[in-house]
Amino acid sequence: MTENPYRNYFEMMPAYLTILDRDLRIVEANRRFRRDFGDFEGRYCYQVNRHRSERCETCPAERTFRDGQRHGIEEHFKNLSGQEVSLLVYTTPIRNDAGEITHVMKMATDITEIKLLQNQLRDSRERYRQLFEEVPCYISIQDSNLRILEANRRFREDFGDSLGKKCHQVYMHRTDPCVPCAVKQTFEDGQGHQSEEVVTSQRGEHVNVLVSTAPVRNAEGQIKSIIEMSTNITQIRQLQSQLASLGLVISSISHGIKGLLTSLDGGVYLVNTGLSKNDRKRFEQGWKMVERNITRIRRMVLDLLYYAKDRVPEWEQISALTVAEEVCEVMRGKAGELGIEFQCEFDREAGEFDADAKAVRSLLINLVENAMDACRVDSKKPNHQVRIGMKGYPDRIEFEVADNGIGMDQETRERSFGLFFSSKRGNGTGLGLFISNKIAQAHGGKMELESELNRGTRLMVKLPRKRPFPAGDAAKK
Amino acid sequence: MPNPKRILIVDDELDIRTYLSTLFEDQGYITVQAKDGVEAMQKLQTENPDLITLDISMPEKSGVKFFRDLKSDDQWKKIPIIIVTGVSEDFKKFISSRRQVPAPEGFVPKPINREEILAIVKKLLI
Repeated sequence: MTENPYRNYFEMMPAYLTILDRDLRIVEANRRFRRDFGDFEGRYCYQVNRHRSERCETCPAERTFRDGQRHGIEEHFKNLSGQEVSLLVYTTPIRNDAGEITHVMKMATDITEIKLLQNQLRDSRERYRQLFEEVPCYISIQDSNLRILEANRRFREDFGDSLGKKCHQVYMHRTDPCVPCAVKQTFEDGQGHQSEEVVTSQRGEHVNVLVSTAPVRNAEGQIKSIIEMSTNITQIRQLQSQLASLGLVISSISHGIKGLLTSLDGGVYLVNTGLSKNDRKRFEQGWKMVERNITRIRRMVLDLLYYAKDRVPEWEQISALTVAEEVCEVMRGKAGELGIEFQCEFDREAGEFDADAKAVRSLLINLVENAMDACRVDSKKPNHQVRIGMKGYPDRIEFEVADNGIGMDQETRERSFGLFFSSKRGNGTGLGLFISNKIAQAHGGKMELESELNRGTRLMVKLPRKRPFPAGDAAKK
Repeated sequence: MPNPKRILIVDDELDIRTYLSTLFEDQGYITVQAKDGVEAMQKLQTENPDLITLDISMPEKSGVKFFRDLKSDDQWKKIPIIIVTGVSEDFKKFISSRRQVPAPEGFVPKPINREEILAIVKKLLI
């Protein structure tokens, strides 16, 4: 009698094959099973496979005996050397001629390697996820419509929940895409692209970012989406701007000093020639020039000191009326010389507020000087006025300086509080309004500007009555 | 001076105009002042100057614009111009912006050297 070929297949199968009876006793096992799990004669499946004395809670063989169906389950067996192996187990009913299930064949495939790979993949995904979430830059995954499919934690924190929204809506707060768009370029040529942009966070802050893109391909190599990484380089740009400002301040000071020295030299010339010619009028004119330019040099030096160092305010409680009247007193003479009508309108009941008296005086003088300069260079009107006002409110003091001088166009208005911006060309250091604004901010206050070209300018300074920081913190600030 | 020459001083700084005006008048010249390019164009029509000293950085009409307009106009282009400026960078920009117009006849940096400016004026007004 020839040997049953199926017997051979049974023996040679690269899986663990066993035949169980209704008591879950192993009645037959193939070579591989015998090699790894040893002697099975008269022993139960759970004894051999799991080294336990009772049936398993979930047993696919039992279920097959019960319902006659095939069942599959993932199980962990312990082999002869005590090593745990992961197995994918399938059970199939074996029926007799009457169709009754007499035995169940159990086929277990070793998936330990697969499980290991799965675990490694899960760990790797976890690490990728962690990297994606925690990396200190903004990362988003975008589709070909520039819709954000995924965004990391930093991105969500600064730009809000952006899933499904378009990149330019989130970053730029506008409806049109950027031109050029690095993501679109990467979709087109499959290459990484870089660009530098200024984006706006959900809090309205402008953020300088360096954008890099890379394609995300599927198994067929087609570009599925684009990963966009944006690094916040705002601090670097600010530092560069400060360095550039330093260059500008040197150039600006140099220009200003040359002008002042020329005027001072002119004053000295008039004084000397006035004396030698015994011309008193010329002497007096020269002396006024000398005095005026010494004052301007002093002011320039004070402005520079304020720029060079974050001066800690010398807090005291001062009378708003006193400081306003002092400024009025100082500036009235200059207004007279320039033929400008000078009005002072003060709230006599404004009371006191916390301030650095010298700084506030300097701020107001700066504003009045600016206003007078705006009148001086305006040749379009026959008469000019500068008005300084002060009013007390329960929580603040408001100062106002208004003129009907040359005024500012939109660009000038927008740049006026910036460093080294001067609408006076050669005459200003460009520090005046910048310093004034800085003083207002140091007091926890703010400055507001309204201006119209050829009509005039109105500057408001709002300072809180109470100092912005508690006594202990003031020095730190 | 039998037939005194007339100098137009263009500078937005009153003290510098006063200085140059006194300096030139002490040498026997007649002076006229303008505080920017717009006023200088008006004075050009009425005062007929023989020489102009010109600041570059001024509000309203800058020195550069005034210079280009003047040197492109057959009526005025022969009037010699001395550039008086505080920033050498300004002068470089001025020179580089000059197209199809000749170079200025003189350049004096601020702070002004009196002897230097007087010597240039004298030479140009011979």
